Amino acid sequence: MSVLPLDAADEVATEPVPPARRRGLPAFLRRPGGIFGATWLTFVIVASLTAPLWRPYEPAEQDTANALALPSAEHWLGTDPLGRDLLSRIFTAGSLPLLSSALMLVVAFGIGLPLALIAAERGRRVEQVISRLTEVLIALPATILLLAVIGVIGNRLYPVMAILGVMISASVYRVLLGVAQSVRQRLYIDAARVNGLGSLRVNLVHVLPSMATVVAVQAAQLFGIGLLIVAGLAFLGFGPGEPEPSWGFMIQDASGYIYTAPWLMVPTGLVLALTVVAANELADAIAGKVAVAGRAGRRRRRGPLRRAVAAAAAGTAEAPDPAAVLQVRDLSVSVDDGPDLVTGVSFALQPGRVLGLVGESGCGKTMTARSLLGLLPDGVSVSGGSILWRGRELVGLSEREMSALRGREIAMISQEPMVALDPMFSISSQLTGPIRRFRGVGRSEARKIAAELLRNVGIVDAERVLKSHPHQLSGGMAQRVCIALALTGEPDLLVADEPTTALDVTVQAEILSLLRALVRDTGLSVVVVSHDLGVVADICDDVAVMYAGQVVESGTAEAVLDAPAHPYTMALLGANPHVPEGEPVPERLASIAGTVPPPGSWPTGCRFASRCRFAQERCTVPFPELPAHGAGSVLCIRVDELSRDHAVWEPEHAGDEIATPLAPPAPVAGVSR
Amino acid sequence: MLAYIARRLALAVGTVLAAIVITFLLVHAGNTTPGAVRLGPGATADRIAAENEALGWNRPLFTQFTDYVGQLLQGNLGTSLIDGRDIAADLTDRLPVTASIALFATLLSGVVGILLGVAAAVRGGRTAQGITTGSGVALSLPSFWVGILLVYLLSLQLGWLPATGYTEFSTDPVGWATSLAIPVLTLAVGGAAIVTRTAAAGMREALAQEHVRTLRAMGTPQWRIRYVHALRYASVPVVSVLGIQFIVLFGGSVIIENLFALPGLGQASQVAAVSSDFPALIGVVVVATVVVVITNLLLDLLVAALDPKVRTA
Repeated sequence: MSVLPLDAADEVATEPVPPARRRGLPAFLRRPGGIFGATWLTFVIVASLTAPLWRPYEPAEQDTANALALPSAEHWLGTDPLGRDLLSRIFTAGSLPLLSSALMLVVAFGIGLPLALIAAERGRRVEQVISRLTEVLIALPATILLLAVIGVIGNRLYPVMAILGVMISASVYRVLLGVAQSVRQRLYIDAARVNGLGSLRVNLVHVLPSMATVVAVQAAQLFGIGLLIVAGLAFLGFGPGEPEPSWGFMIQDASGYIYTAPWLMVPTGLVLALTVVAANELADAIAGKVAVAGRAGRRRRRGPLRRAVAAAAAGTAEAPDPAAVLQVRDLSVSVDDGPDLVTGVSFALQPGRVLGLVGESGCGKTMTARSLLGLLPDGVSVSGGSILWRGRELVGLSEREMSALRGREIAMISQEPMVALDPMFSISSQLTGPIRRFRGVGRSEARKIAAELLRNVGIVDAERVLKSHPHQLSGGMAQRVCIALALTGEPDLLVADEPTTALDVTVQAEILSLLRALVRDTGLSVVVVSHDLGVVADICDDVAVMYAGQVVESGTAEAVLDAPAHPYTMALLGANPHVPEGEPVPERLASIAGTVPPPGSWPTGCRFASRCRFAQERCTVPFPELPAHGAGSVLCIRVDELSRDHAVWEPEHAGDEIATPLAPPAPVAGVSR
Repeated sequence: MLAYIARRLALAVGTVLAAIVITFLLVHAGNTTPGAVRLGPGATADRIAAENEALGWNRPLFTQFTDYVGQLLQGNLGTSLIDGRDIAADLTDRLPVTASIALFATLLSGVVGILLGVAAAVRGGRTAQGITTGSGVALSLPSFWVGILLVYLLSLQLGWLPATGYTEFSTDPVGWATSLAIPVLTLAVGGAAIVTRTAAAGMREALAQEHVRTLRAMGTPQWRIRYVHALRYASVPVVSVLGIQFIVLFGGSVIIENLFALPGLGQASQVAAVSSDFPALIGVVVVATVVVVITNLLLDLLVAALDPKVRTA
């Protein structure tokens, strides 16, 4: 659940805007490569198959007076050494490679596809037998074997291409097996089987349609390869003999005239090349591969941002808190040219304290945390506000300036320890690299420090771990290594993004007590992102509860957890299965109806109103100023009434499942500020 | 790791045996007999039958097969039906030609492909688009056509390199290198295109990995993230595709050797196919299969050395 906000943001950032109206064309025909590929292939196929009907000359018709002519009105593409018309010859020659490649495809898929379906259906033993056989077939030198076939059965293209289809079926099987297996693993296939559909029907109705794209991509690619092979064979003299035209032999013929008539090799070669390019472009377009413009828009516009920052700083009445190491004021994070992900977030962190950012997935916790290091995903950036780190403004710093801070002053540990370490390098080299960079020590000294750091994070056999690679570690061990890595630069602030979410419960407790010990022993300040109130209660001194990109309540952990003032905090606590010792386990946990509204569709007024039990009509209109409450702050217009009435977010009673808040107000995009 | 190597070795031996079985069956399935090939057209059926008997063609297939394997293990591939030359000796002369073309083409594809692929992944935008389109075209071009274009350009127009022919390394090393240059370039066009695509995809995938974020969070310099960490991550698919390219280019040299009149294996297989010289055909298939199998084995070991997950398994 904790991974979601990031993914969602990435999706918002990268999802192309769908065309306003779809015209019923398949997707691949809306890409330039796909359009070119489909058009040219159709043209070549139609022109070749109908060549006898339209060709201006008979392919064998000689005009020796006009030999080796350049293009002219009479011969559009020129003539060959015997004065034969190239245009007529090229398209007359086309049907053989096109048809024999098609035959090769039919054979290759006719064998490969059923084998893949059978192997995926019948399980491991059958799959192993078929796979071993195809491995051998793939390892054979196809071209040379094909020549051996020709040596035996003679120069007969269709049977030769059919045999090539048999050889290629092994590669087809390889690719399709993977797809078939993954399709089969989907649950609805099991459901279909349980419903009594026969094996053939399951394959026809469910498995095959899911494989259509891969089959189409493979077919288009192999078709191009087939054309090249047919032409290559004809080039070697294994094609239709003279005077029959063939692409390969026409190019072979042209190679003898490059001194005197270089034009001769152009038309045939170009038609063949364009046809193969067309097949490959079509395959790419079907596969949905487009040249990724990915990192083009990386350079963010700093100019307007600096202004925004200055304006925000000027407009904030709050004076900088001199005691705080980190002060975030009015921070906004947005998708470039898209919706806001975080708006107006403010909090302060005192040295040696632990601040928790809490909330459901999609509330902007991770975005807030990552903006502290300037590590927002591509296409997402800080759009306003200020991050003061030890009196220095971090918003608007260049990548180089931020990079100099990372690791040395602010370090981060992430939620997935198993993928956070580079799988290709040993733990030793991953630790000693930064140690040498940060501390300017030699190789052996760095290794000593690395071992010491590992022991400090509770790893007993540090030497063995140093020699290991990430995949040899357990999740808890990997997270300890990640913490040790974060400590290599002796940072003053540690940003921990869901540090225990991916770990077993017992390991979670160990990692939390390790973090607690580090704070106690080293005076480190920590920002912890978590959806787990248990974690927050365990190690946080201060808490900021986030909902839909805002901090809705903040204060000391004690105050917020013991006496929640915002209905969302109450709801979170009510939904929390951690029961304090000595209290009875409630029969039912409270729940929060509905989901967090995604960025871009936040309602005006209170963003929690549509899910809040205590919401009233006035909650849905924008409120002018935030009511102050105690030492922390609470973003709720009814906070004083609620605390006076001792409102509690009760678990629902049976039959009371459907919460009855107001009808959700129509989301108004972009008016969230 | 040992079990892995043993399994790969078994597969390798199996593949070579399969190649022999397949070509044996192929040869015997056809309606041409070696006697007819040796005696040429116009020979009487009696003489052909006698010749086949003398060649051992009528013995049980299995005996012929075991005999062949026995001879093969002693390095004997028989003699040509056409001119009686020793096939093993002939192929030993030819193998270095084909192998060096394929090897140099693979190396060149690797260097160019990795540079372009990394540039596409790192620079993005227009650069990536141009490189993707260019490689898409390059891998679709028929090699023999590219070869002719290169001869026209480098040899006829610019006069830098000889158009065709082969010079022995022992007689003239420089001449040897220049005689291989255009064939190698020709093969490398398609090879580099494929390596480019693999390297670009591999680098893109590598840079999107979670651990790259950890590296950035540690303030690791950009060049180090790209050219030490991401490149290392992408090295496994790139090395695999280079191995496959060597095999593909080795096979593709049939056409190139024909175009450039190079005395390699490909040329031998073409000649053998034209003349139905069965022992020569089987010999070429066996040698080519052995090369492929050894390449695959080396590739497996190399990948295992590169990928800690395989190495420490």
